[in-house]
Amino acid sequence: MLDRRQFLKLGGATAFATLFAGCDKAQKKLIPFVIPPENYILGEALWYASACGQCPAGCGIVVRVSEGRAKKIEGNPLHPVNRGKLCARGQAALQALYHPERLGQPLKLSGARGAGSYTPVSWEEALSLLMGQLKKVKAEAPSSLLMLTDPMRGHGGLVAGRFMKAFGSPHRVAWEPLAPDAMLSAHEAVYGVRDLPEHDLAGTRYVLSFSGDFLETGLSPVHYAGAYGRMRGDRATIRGKFVHFGPRLSMTAASADLFLPCAPGTEGFVALGLAHVMVRDKLTPQAAAAGHLMGEGLSAYTPEAVEKRTGVHTHEVTGVAREFAGNQPGVAIAGTAAATCGNGAFQCAAVALLNVLAGNAGKPGGVSFPNRAQSFAKYGAEIPLLAPPPETGYAAVRIAAEKMRTGAFRMAILAGATNPAFTLPPAVKFAEALSKVPFVVAFASFLDETSSLADLVLPVPTSLESWGDDAAPSGHAGAVTLCQPVVEPFRDAKAMPDVLLAAARELGGEPAKALPWGSMKECLEKAYGGPGGAMDKALQNGGFFGDASGSRPAPKAGKPSLPKAAAPSFEGDPKAFPLVLHLYPSMALYDGRGANLPWLQEMPDPVSTAVWRNWVEVNPKTAGTLGLSEGDGVTVASPSGKIPAHVVFNPGVAPDVVAMPLGQGHTRFGKFANGRGENPMTLIPAGEGYALQATRVTLAKTKLSTTLARTGNPEGQWKVKNMM
Amino acid sequence: MTRKRPLAALAIPIFAFVLFPAVGSALAETVPQPISFSHKIHVTEYQLNCRFCHSSANKSQYANLPSVAKCMSCHRSIATDKPEVKKLAQYWKEKKPIPWNKVIDLPNHVYFPHRKMVNAGIPCLTCHPGMDQAGTAVQKLEFGMGMCMECHRKKKVTIDCTKCHY
Repeated sequence: MLDRRQFLKLGGATAFATLFAGCDKAQKKLIPFVIPPENYILGEALWYASACGQCPAGCGIVVRVSEGRAKKIEGNPLHPVNRGKLCARGQAALQALYHPERLGQPLKLSGARGAGSYTPVSWEEALSLLMGQLKKVKAEAPSSLLMLTDPMRGHGGLVAGRFMKAFGSPHRVAWEPLAPDAMLSAHEAVYGVRDLPEHDLAGTRYVLSFSGDFLETGLSPVHYAGAYGRMRGDRATIRGKFVHFGPRLSMTAASADLFLPCAPGTEGFVALGLAHVMVRDKLTPQAAAAGHLMGEGLSAYTPEAVEKRTGVHTHEVTGVAREFAGNQPGVAIAGTAAATCGNGAFQCAAVALLNVLAGNAGKPGGVSFPNRAQSFAKYGAEIPLLAPPPETGYAAVRIAAEKMRTGAFRMAILAGATNPAFTLPPAVKFAEALSKVPFVVAFASFLDETSSLADLVLPVPTSLESWGDDAAPSGHAGAVTLCQPVVEPFRDAKAMPDVLLAAARELGGEPAKALPWGSMKECLEKAYGGPGGAMDKALQNGGFFGDASGSRPAPKAGKPSLPKAAAPSFEGDPKAFPLVLHLYPSMALYDGRGANLPWLQEMPDPVSTAVWRNWVEVNPKTAGTLGLSEGDGVTVASPSGKIPAHVVFNPGVAPDVVAMPLGQGHTRFGKFANGRGENPMTLIPAGEGYALQATRVTLAKTKLSTTLARTGNPEGQWKVKNMM
Repeated sequence: MTRKRPLAALAIPIFAFVLFPAVGSALAETVPQPISFSHKIHVTEYQLNCRFCHSSANKSQYANLPSVAKCMSCHRSIATDKPEVKKLAQYWKEKKPIPWNKVIDLPNHVYFPHRKMVNAGIPCLTCHPGMDQAGTAVQKLEFGMGMCMECHRKKKVTIDCTKCHY
């Protein structure tokens, strides 16, 4: 018989035995490569320099690669744009590389066009289909070929441009949703230079921002954020002051010393008010010499008149003007929201006038225009193919869509991340127009709203797997970033320039002559003296950064003139649609291209703290009169469309304004992007220009089946319900 | 009073039987491998340097295994009729890696940089004795802390804890 003591002992021993049996080691495996990657040393990381392709800012990156796998992306410390820093979007490029939904095989349409059902086919079959169509179009009507891409920079753009020219079609259209067109035309009018400015933020003493969200989106957020930090804290005795005017308290506005809210589309009038005070009180020598502006109409923009129009108080207009004039060098920056109004060109010109009156154009701490094209000088007339003016091409896309409808195009080649079917206002009816083109081929890493409209989808490598070069639009001063594959391509993908080069060879004749390179890599080696030449060192450094002080076009001298004032126009009757809609690019998703990357989806917005869904920011006072509380569902309706959204209180939004981020609302961009709210572009009319601040809306309370997850929830905790 | 404890005595062998294989297996006999590679042929008969195949031993923490491509750089033309080389050729043909079983393992919580030892001129056979006469890899020494310390003391090199435990 077992007594109690024996039972316990035996039980304990058995428990021990069972426990330790679990520790018996499973046989570990050692799996060496079949073919090892180049320069591979087991256990040692290699860092490769390349260019970030996640937005048009063109930062330099270094990628940590071990065992042939990219593990981490950081900013390239040698790169003049980002100086070793990198934003979340750049870091998230790794997820694009390893994304489970990446295309790994050419896809051929297997159902109705636009239905999105495809059959995987071999590259041989796909290329023969492509070549068959290209040859047919070339023989019968070469000018009926359309190429719609993002503004490809560097030699990729040269290959695409030359291909189209040699093919015999003038229809190469580039589309970039958030490029500041209005800023370009304003600079042409004020400075005589049609280019983007380089604001020397680090060397300035006073920054005026007119809806310029330069720390989060803008032209080059990492470059500007770095320079902003140096402006604030890098000088022994000077701490630059920052004043922000705009309709919404963005993250950038929240960093300002003084945030002065103004009505949407009136930033330009605030700038004229400041100019009025500077000229009236002769606060700078340049302003004293610009007395003629009063005669041209500046006299009407007294601080009192400006207060009435914009909501910025008289004493603030006067005070800021005096401080700005007294703290030179200072700089005035116009931002995306100011530039994407119907009166964007006026607003940007009014802001540029402040820089002229402050006398900071072309000076340290002020505004200058780097000669971005100087690195490509040897290409002469072809320079715009390599360093394209950073315009949206909205007008060209609209014209192209019209031509598609009339049957002018027999074939279309689509490429790039800008996803026109998603980023254009639905009122443009891009998808419907594209359906009239008999054959559409898309080069894409993912199926999205645009590539899923194609007959043939050809997978392309991500920017971490491609050869290329880039000239960044800002903070770069004529330098060239080189882009090299940091890992072997993960999928069976071919880069678009490589496919175009192969197609040109097969077409023979003019295209083969215009594109004499075997591959994009060979093209770059010929251009930059590699291998064994200058290119080897440049690949290690990340590019040719040269001398930043190179020649710069001198801004126009002479008398400044008053820009022609234009009131902002908003679609909709103010009675039926009492609120103005302010759309802004999302810090995480940008124009929507980052929405399929979970790291970016789960990154809380810095102002609303919301994740995984979109929302509408409402002033609590407005919400009170509408009977809305935080998190409520509303229908945001404009004359063009309506979408549901959740209410987020933002006391920094003007009472007659509601703000929404861009980027969500995908329907065909994979499981991480689809079904997370609706696309706010639905609310925008198809106007003459690409205006994000273009419509009035109304809010109506509605019941939604979803909730908005926020890290800083008013209830003090994560609302995880319905997050996924 | 004396008490009989038959069942307690039974528990001790059970305990030992279950526990000891886990500890003792480090020095077990030959581990089966997908290809019965012979170190003896390569190292002793053909006088290949260890680092010809384990090429990262002087550059990295780890001494790597050669890639299939590396094996095939010789075996495309050498000994192609041998059954084991035919197995290798099959892996190469299918472009599949060879799933070797791990033989030599260190205890947890210690870092051992091969690079430091190799560059200090310690012969590989010091820690891997008999490998030059072996077929597939064998582990004849138990890599305990005593073995490391003995050698480090003899050679008057660092015995700082944090050199290996960091």
